Amino acid sequence: MIRFYNYRHIFFAISLSLILFGIVAAFINGIQLDIQFKGGTILKYTYSDTIYVERAEAVVEDAVGRTTNCQLQSNLARDEKMLIVSLASNEALTSQEQEAVTAALIKAYPDAKLALSESLTVEPFIGKRFFTNGMIAIGLSFLLILGYVGWRFRNIGGVSAGTMAIIALFHDVFIVTAVFVIFKIPLNDSFIAAILTIIGFSINDTIVIYDRIRENRRLMNYKTSPEELVDTSINQSMMRSINTNLAVFVSIAVIYCFALVYDIGSIRDFALPMMFGTVSGCYSTICIAGPLWTMWQNHMREGAGARKSAS
Amino acid sequence: MASKRVFFITVIITAALFCIALFGIKLGNFEIKGADQMRFGIDIRGGVEATYEPRDLGRKPTVDELEAARAIIETRMDAKNITDRDVTIDKGNGKILVRFPWKSDEASFDPQKAVSEIGETARLTFRDPMNNIILEGTDVLKSSARFNQEGSDPVVELKLSKEGAAKFTQATGRLIGQNIYIYMDDTCISTAVVKTQITGGNAEIQHIATLEEASALSNKINSGSLPFSLVVKNCNIISPTLGSNALAVMILAGKVAFALVCLFMLVYYRLPGLVACIALLLQVSGQLLALSVPQFTLTLPGIAGLILSIGMGVDANVIVSERIKEELNAGKTLGRAIENGFERAFTSVFDGNITVIIVAIILIIFGSGSMLSFGYTLLCGVIMNFVAGVTASRLMIRSLSNFEGLRRPELFGARRTVQ
Repeated sequence: MIRFYNYRHIFFAISLSLILFGIVAAFINGIQLDIQFKGGTILKYTYSDTIYVERAEAVVEDAVGRTTNCQLQSNLARDEKMLIVSLASNEALTSQEQEAVTAALIKAYPDAKLALSESLTVEPFIGKRFFTNGMIAIGLSFLLILGYVGWRFRNIGGVSAGTMAIIALFHDVFIVTAVFVIFKIPLNDSFIAAILTIIGFSINDTIVIYDRIRENRRLMNYKTSPEELVDTSINQSMMRSINTNLAVFVSIAVIYCFALVYDIGSIRDFALPMMFGTVSGCYSTICIAGPLWTMWQNHMREGAGARKSAS
Repeated sequence: MASKRVFFITVIITAALFCIALFGIKLGNFEIKGADQMRFGIDIRGGVEATYEPRDLGRKPTVDELEAARAIIETRMDAKNITDRDVTIDKGNGKILVRFPWKSDEASFDPQKAVSEIGETARLTFRDPMNNIILEGTDVLKSSARFNQEGSDPVVELKLSKEGAAKFTQATGRLIGQNIYIYMDDTCISTAVVKTQITGGNAEIQHIATLEEASALSNKINSGSLPFSLVVKNCNIISPTLGSNALAVMILAGKVAFALVCLFMLVYYRLPGLVACIALLLQVSGQLLALSVPQFTLTLPGIAGLILSIGMGVDANVIVSERIKEELNAGKTLGRAIENGFERAFTSVFDGNITVIIVAIILIIFGSGSMLSFGYTLLCGVIMNFVAGVTASRLMIRSLSNFEGLRRPELFGARRTVQ
């Protein structure tokens, strides 16, 4: 049997340093919000021939009179070159202005076979609302999870169990966000989807372990110490944790590999944080939620014991 | 023994549902569309998603104005032959959401131009047979659809302005017995025969088949006097080549991942693993049907929801299989081990699923677009998990354990020494 409780300080140290690493990375890389959240316009064109970034920027700025940032990207998988024009501004670019950008670029590069491949325009205020709604949804789910776990696991100290589960969830949200920050993936709706998926997996993981603790609480002697109870439960459901997470991890890894080979940005940016997220979800359940709950239970017992001896 | 048959019945039902989900079915009026006709969001198959809103209007547009604006958009899209589209009104925010895909063979299609043109100010005119303009849209104060006084036929009633009434009196006097044509831009949207001279500024368009048609026409006529033009401030265009490639790759990746999971379950859990594969197939079929029957639009976040719920499905089967193995290793008989395994596993699968259902419902309530799609696929997946991963698996394993040749503990992954 692996004594998880005895190694708890190592686990906490690992998690804290990972979170710290994420925070440092956030300061170095900055947290990039995609225009889905901050508003603005992005236009992506495929082209052949050669395009110079400075000239393209000048052409676009001339056409719409806004500060522009152009980037070139080449895609080896599909043998394409791409021109990415982004305009961040307080007001979104209207469709007429977008047409003007396209027309000006085609005029400046008549032989480059410029073709619009993707465009996204979001009003800053809509982006903000989308982001707030996402955050409200996540926050509210946390509250309701806390309530449900508190009620269903009341015989193992419901609210404390729920609180520890939420701490584990925050841990996973941090790790997934850190992956986005470290790999410089702008936060967009795939970020929300990834976070939600990981919350789903992680809470499920935690509940499976709690269920075992709840069951063992009935089966084992009531004098059994919390660490004995938790470590036994974790070890009993160890194979399940490993196998399930392995299956999920492999599935997501397959999706990631395909997205990488065929260069599908949206899927790749979603699958990579998910891979880290599944590992984190499994780890946080076993190494964080369990030991934290044990510590809390021990603390309560000591408190009760102290009161008893005092009276 | 009757329960031996249960396994085969479940397999047949699963196979049938899988085929229906994949190829669709048509029985008279009842039709379920196959997976190839599933509605995909524009992030998957490419297309346009644009939000139109009034330009420089100091107030929130009324519902009537939004309906009129929608009528403009719909007429324009008809003229452009964009039939596969989705135009919805967001009353609360005074916006109109337009979504449409375009096919990869339409190389000449210019989406940016289409988005601009759809939102331009509509020019509504009433014309005589010689194509002279007799009334402008602004001459119509209000048009509404209702039943005529006898209550038998739907009509469109027009209230004209003072100048409009004067122009109309003059024109209808001249055109008795002839046609008046109503145009939006260069599209003729209705024709009416002048019966008598119309004075006083109240006119009625008759001979309309249904009230729906009448209100559609009335909305279009109202658009002529709309006090604002439309502007697009939120728009997403994805070219179909980019989209379809992503879809094909995702389907392939999904198949490979599913095959790997099944292989793993078979090798590791043997008989319960086989049951798990069938149960997963049942779950996926149910999820596909939940998307194709109401023609729900599947987007990339929706696929994320699918992945999560399939993961939960795998988990339910893993928990059960592990539990059965554990019970067998503890020396229980096969029947006892199966019953105990399911019973003990049920509480954890139940609690896990309910928590995820809570999250899914919150997303459906709060989320728009991507979060809604995620929540829906997740909710359907978890409900299917109860049906497939919990109930169907149990029926199948119980049924299989009645076959003499399959009653060996090692087929359930237990240690051989225990009997």
